[in-house]
Amino acid sequence: MFNKLINDSASKSPWLYHINSGSCNGCDIELVACLTPRYDAERFGFKLAGTPRHADIVVVSGPVTSQSKERLIRTLAQVPEPKCVVSLGSCPKSGNVFKGSYSVEAPLDDYCHVDVSVAGCTPKPEAIMEGLYKAALILKEKREAMHK
Amino acid sequence: MMFPFLKKAVTNAFTKPSTEAFPCPEAEGLGKYRGRIAFDGEKCVDCGMCIKVCAPAAITLDREDVEGGQNIWRTFDLTSCTFCATCADFCDEGAIQMTTDYHMVGTKHEDLLVKGVTFKKTIMGELECDTDNCIYCGLCARNCPQGAITVDRTTKTWQIDHEKCVKCGICIGKCPKKVLKFGEPKPEGVVFDESKCVYCTLCAKKCPVGAIEVDRPNKTWTINRETCIKCGACVKGCPKQALSMGPIEE
Repeated sequence: MFNKLINDSASKSPWLYHINSGSCNGCDIELVACLTPRYDAERFGFKLAGTPRHADIVVVSGPVTSQSKERLIRTLAQVPEPKCVVSLGSCPKSGNVFKGSYSVEAPLDDYCHVDVSVAGCTPKPEAIMEGLYKAALILKEKREAMHK
Repeated sequence: MMFPFLKKAVTNAFTKPSTEAFPCPEAEGLGKYRGRIAFDGEKCVDCGMCIKVCAPAAITLDREDVEGGQNIWRTFDLTSCTFCATCADFCDEGAIQMTTDYHMVGTKHEDLLVKGVTFKKTIMGELECDTDNCIYCGLCARNCPQGAITVDRTTKTWQIDHEKCVKCGICIGKCPKKVLKFGEPKPEGVVFDESKCVYCTLCAKKCPVGAIEVDRPNKTWTINRETCIKCGACVKGCPKQALSMGPIEE
């Protein structure tokens, strides 16, 4: 019963952690715009966490540069299960226009399972909201499956 | 005034919140916002310009042979696209359009692919120019997406590289004198390469209609074009790859 109480409460408060793996800052700014009062993603209980150990949903932006790849893998490993990975923009999924560069190690799918991908260069805050909401639902399912 | 905020507090209680509702209402005033790509395969002439100008190489081609021609699938990968709209700008036929649809969220990769199919008939012959009426303006060469045509105004020459030509027909539309056209298609059939043949007679044995005759001692190979059904059994059966399907000269 105690577990159920925790699960129900946790599903209403999925905390975000944002990793910038060499992004141009476009997607990062739009993500921050999502948390502002106008779009107000915080109504779903989202909160930017300061450390990956507190996070439930990880938002990755940027084309995974060689410099950030190792740190990205290390950070993702610190996120406790159940976790949900959201790729923001075109870069993490394919490398976008940086595809084939010596310093870009995209796609992100090579290093972890991407649950939700939001396309766009950059995506609109409305689209990011949709993506985050979908991620929260997936996270809820994952948590329920875990405690069955 | 003791409570300067009181007026604001009262008016705020009766106004709508500035926060957008969720699910968000359709954003308005998008104007020239570039969102999901819309591709109309019916309009596409398969000139290949979009693939050439795409910086992140987000467009891929799949060719599938069907009866009477080819089905050409173009796939636009929205997780790779940078939404620069260069492909739409370069598309002469208007087959590629940027829509204002920004709802591009997917849990699977297939959710973020835009596909379209073009059917291309293979009845066209090679591009020909009626050089008697040509004014050598060079419009065809300038508009050729593959750079297959070369026009020299001074020497009055018109040349085409048949290897490069994809038979998209853009030059025909651009020609002010209407002197360009596709010629009669060359008849297709089994092409024989004398240098590779060892006269083993396997092709004659494989032929379901008995159209091939091979004379081993005299080293001759003949085919009856009337009875040949172009099934390709002899091509597959040839151990020396001396036979192929292609245009025949007669």
